[in-house]
Amino acid sequence: MSVLTLREAPPERLDLLNITPLALSGLSEAEVARLPIGTTRRGLSLGDCFTVKLDRSDSLVIEGGSERLDQVGAALSEGTIRVAGDVGQRLGEGMAGGSLTVEGAAGPFAGAGATGGLITIEGDAGDHAGGAVYAAKAGLDGATLIIRGRAGDHLGDRMRRGVIVAGEAGAFAGSRMIAGTLAALKTGDHPGFGMRRGTLLVGAHGALGPTFVETGTHDLVFLRLLVRSLRALSPAHADLAAGALRRYSGDLATLGKGEIWTAAA
Amino acid sequence: MAAWVKGGATDAETAIAAAATLLAAARAPVVAGLCAELAAVRAAIHLAGTLGASLDTAGAAGTYAELGALSRTGAMLTTPAEALGRADTVLVLGAAPWDAPILPALAAGAPTRGRAAGTERALLSIGGPGNGATRHVAYPQESGALALSVAHLRAFAKGHLAGESAYADLARRLFAAQYGVAVYDPAELGELGIEMLQGLVKDLNETTRFFTLPLSGPNQDRAVVQLSAWTTGQAPRLGFGRGLPEHDPWRFDSARQVRAGEADAALWLASLPSPRPDWLGRLPSVAIVGEGSPDAVADAAEIVIAVGVPGESTGGALWNEGRATVTYQPATGAPAELTAADVLGRIRDRLTDQKGA
Repeated sequence: MSVLTLREAPPERLDLLNITPLALSGLSEAEVARLPIGTTRRGLSLGDCFTVKLDRSDSLVIEGGSERLDQVGAALSEGTIRVAGDVGQRLGEGMAGGSLTVEGAAGPFAGAGATGGLITIEGDAGDHAGGAVYAAKAGLDGATLIIRGRAGDHLGDRMRRGVIVAGEAGAFAGSRMIAGTLAALKTGDHPGFGMRRGTLLVGAHGALGPTFVETGTHDLVFLRLLVRSLRALSPAHADLAAGALRRYSGDLATLGKGEIWTAAA
Repeated sequence: MAAWVKGGATDAETAIAAAATLLAAARAPVVAGLCAELAAVRAAIHLAGTLGASLDTAGAAGTYAELGALSRTGAMLTTPAEALGRADTVLVLGAAPWDAPILPALAAGAPTRGRAAGTERALLSIGGPGNGATRHVAYPQESGALALSVAHLRAFAKGHLAGESAYADLARRLFAAQYGVAVYDPAELGELGIEMLQGLVKDLNETTRFFTLPLSGPNQDRAVVQLSAWTTGQAPRLGFGRGLPEHDPWRFDSARQVRAGEADAALWLASLPSPRPDWLGRLPSVAIVGEGSPDAVADAAEIVIAVGVPGESTGGALWNEGRATVTYQPATGAPAELTAADVLGRIRDRLTDQKGA
């Protein structure tokens, strides 16, 4: 297990794109320490901010997090990264495989455009988790994103594929969703705004937009399969899916092939 | 000409030297505002490149609401001149457009060219002030964001919702237009609302002609976006910290950078009137502001330099809202001693000299 230990709170945002077990496996500790990660004219390198201990395994631990650590695991395709602390924006952006775990909180755009692998955030996530960054075609795109705490607004904005599981979410969860599955025990106002297809499963929600219409309660095979797939990720969400649910169809302002399942009680 | 350093009046050369020293000591400065003639904005971009600074504009909220939707779905746009000359149906969204100069002109006129020429112009609104000053047909706004009203209207326009309701009636009126225009303020409608509106307008164009007319407001963002694009290849929220222009609308939000303690100095450029951000006093800062503006005072920033106001005391290329393009506006009064571009260029020269020394 390779370990990068943050010496002190970084003086600026740090860009950890390409700091993955695979990328570090072919380098010596001195070479790794020289990798540029600074984002200002200070010109900081990895060794300026972290102590480096490598063992060439497929597992990397970042000890001591900061909300200024951007793009952690953004290029991950295999192996695991665990962060003992917080991270900044674009956690696991474009990640293709492997496992990424953050023990603290994550900044905005966690899992943006991630096509594979598992991202777990034990704390809260910022706005646009599983959402699309500026000018991107899609948000989460096949990966699995688990947020144990509370996600900000626009969770899963424009997500195209994959699964998002969140404890709570802010307003406009699943906005402009193209496809995929998003489950949250509670969301803010206007879940599913502009969604084209896809499935939202919510325990409770704020105001629902006027462009969603109730289609009743249903006993569908899909729901049983959903329960089974959610059970491994979060028993609470699986229990929600297994309970009595009411279905809303929408967003009728767009294609209207999306659905929101809410607890019927 | 007026200049102040730490509250004391001084001459331009001293203020410029102090500004160069302040900015040279910073590691992550921000250059913000960019509410100025294009020569000054170009000089500010070059200065930011020299400093390794980030850039942000005064109207970024509206600019990125517009650009975000544009990058995703494209846009059906028209110009004020076309709207005034051709539109027989104008849909005004929200409250902000009612303060724009074009609204009275649209309300008073009628289409004079195109296929709607000679007909009456209907002014329709959602979420307007409803003060009765301008004759129009007002439709109720959904509670919550304006975007919800646009979505509700679009559901009726697509035929996904049916029945007799105000929005069903409004959708029929929009489809009956021969040349329709939806007028909105991008910051008020927001990215979600703009994207929904562009979808509605595309739906309407299946059977008729319909366009959108976003209003730019008092800032120069429309011009700055073009200048930034042809200078750096990117939209204006840029950072030069790594020597190349990086675009990141979240990271280079100047208010966020100051709030998070990431920025350690600021240069505020507003040779045209623009509200001074409340964060300017929280870090070492330089303000380059128009002569006679409320911000041309000693305590506006650590270093304040008053410069010519484009279109008044200096000439400059500015966004022309009426023509929807950049045009040159000559000075109408006595020329100022200093222009913003000159000041920024001299600060940059000093920084370059310091590097070379």
